[in-house]
Amino acid sequence: MSHGPQRTQLAPGYILHHMPYQDSGRILEVLTREHGRLSLFARGVRGPKSKMAPLLQPFRLLLLSWSGRGEAPMLVGAEPGGSAGALPPAHLVACFYLNELVLKLTSRHDPHPALFDAYHAALEDLRGGGSLEPALRVFEKRLLEEVGYGLDLEAESRTGRRVAAEAYYQFRPAQGLVASSRDAAGALAGRSLMSLARERLSSRSELDDARRLLRSALEHCLEGRELLTRSVARSIARRSRAEIGK
Amino acid sequence: MKLSPKLAFLIDALRALPGVGPKTAQRMAFHLLQEGRPGAQSLVSALGAALVCVKRCRRCRMLTEEELCSLCASAQRDATLLCVVESPADVVAVEQSGGYRGLYFVLMGHLSPLDGVGPEQLGARELEALLGEGSVKELILATNSTVEGEATAHFLSELAARCGVRASRIAHGVPVGGELEYVDGGTLAHALSGRQLLG
Repeated sequence: MSHGPQRTQLAPGYILHHMPYQDSGRILEVLTREHGRLSLFARGVRGPKSKMAPLLQPFRLLLLSWSGRGEAPMLVGAEPGGSAGALPPAHLVACFYLNELVLKLTSRHDPHPALFDAYHAALEDLRGGGSLEPALRVFEKRLLEEVGYGLDLEAESRTGRRVAAEAYYQFRPAQGLVASSRDAAGALAGRSLMSLARERLSSRSELDDARRLLRSALEHCLEGRELLTRSVARSIARRSRAEIGK
Repeated sequence: MKLSPKLAFLIDALRALPGVGPKTAQRMAFHLLQEGRPGAQSLVSALGAALVCVKRCRRCRMLTEEELCSLCASAQRDATLLCVVESPADVVAVEQSGGYRGLYFVLMGHLSPLDGVGPEQLGARELEALLGEGSVKELILATNSTVEGEATAHFLSELAARCGVRASRIAHGVPVGGELEYVDGGTLAHALSGRQLLG
């Protein structure tokens, strides 16, 4: 079987992270719909002469072409995959948080088209003026589903009894929901769980419950790895009036 | 062939320079040790002296040998304008444009949440103290036109608002001498949304 250079043409993808490579290049960490997450070497894309530099920015849907396989394929082209509408600047740090979740919770070369779609939907929602917190929570929920840690928000884990709107529950990572009293530590309202399941979070208490639940589920998946974007967002919030919502 | 240890060490050290690969580093090392010896001597003393003496300006974080850099110390500059840039090279670029008479603040980077670079690393505390003094009336945000630069500009505009200082963002658009046909979509969108009324 031959292992000659293989070319991938115009694959939809987003740049999650980038770092300088040599004098004028970048290493791009991208999330593509069909090929999962991968690193691409992009030569000559920094500096005044690069035509691609304005395109190669995070949060912009691109059509990426690269050649070669294995650990370090080479970027050979990039075209805009959609309109160049900018994200509201107030949401940028939170969007970097989405990128960090994808970087830390997916493995390379493992395609998750549904995760890509969820990521794309979250960014489009925010571009269109959607609220930040519901978009973040829905993405977190879908991400967990995609990486195999989906939450069962419909039933209690031990008894299999359906979640009731008026009841209260505690979430135990690796186990699931257990019935609790309203005053128990970390009690979550059944109504919030049902709204999260439907991906329709609206009230303050639903958003708070969803945040606590997803945070605990994500922390379990991260296995002690710290989220850098979260600590940066925290120190920004300390220094400005920005509502980061995390 | 194996090079002598000191020569190999020099070649390796020269690779700390941007854009210098093994081949160029070797060419530089051979040059410095042969016909370039006088130049090498002055390079050694210049580098040594700069490393000892050059530090950051107490006020704007620009590289300087004094407590205050020449711009911050100058009485000719307009102290009501403060231009925030990402790097010392940006200060030089804005100065060369010749159109700016205010002062600067150098962040030495931009917000990079994925790398853990936040407000503290960018001197937010120093900037806040500077704005708190009350002489600055306008904070000009001249960070790069990248996603990270925009995130930084947004954070700084919030910080300025909290200090009661007006913040402005430099314009992005069609380069002087540029033709619309060849300008990318993102730049053109910026140029249109930032259009100015004539007359």
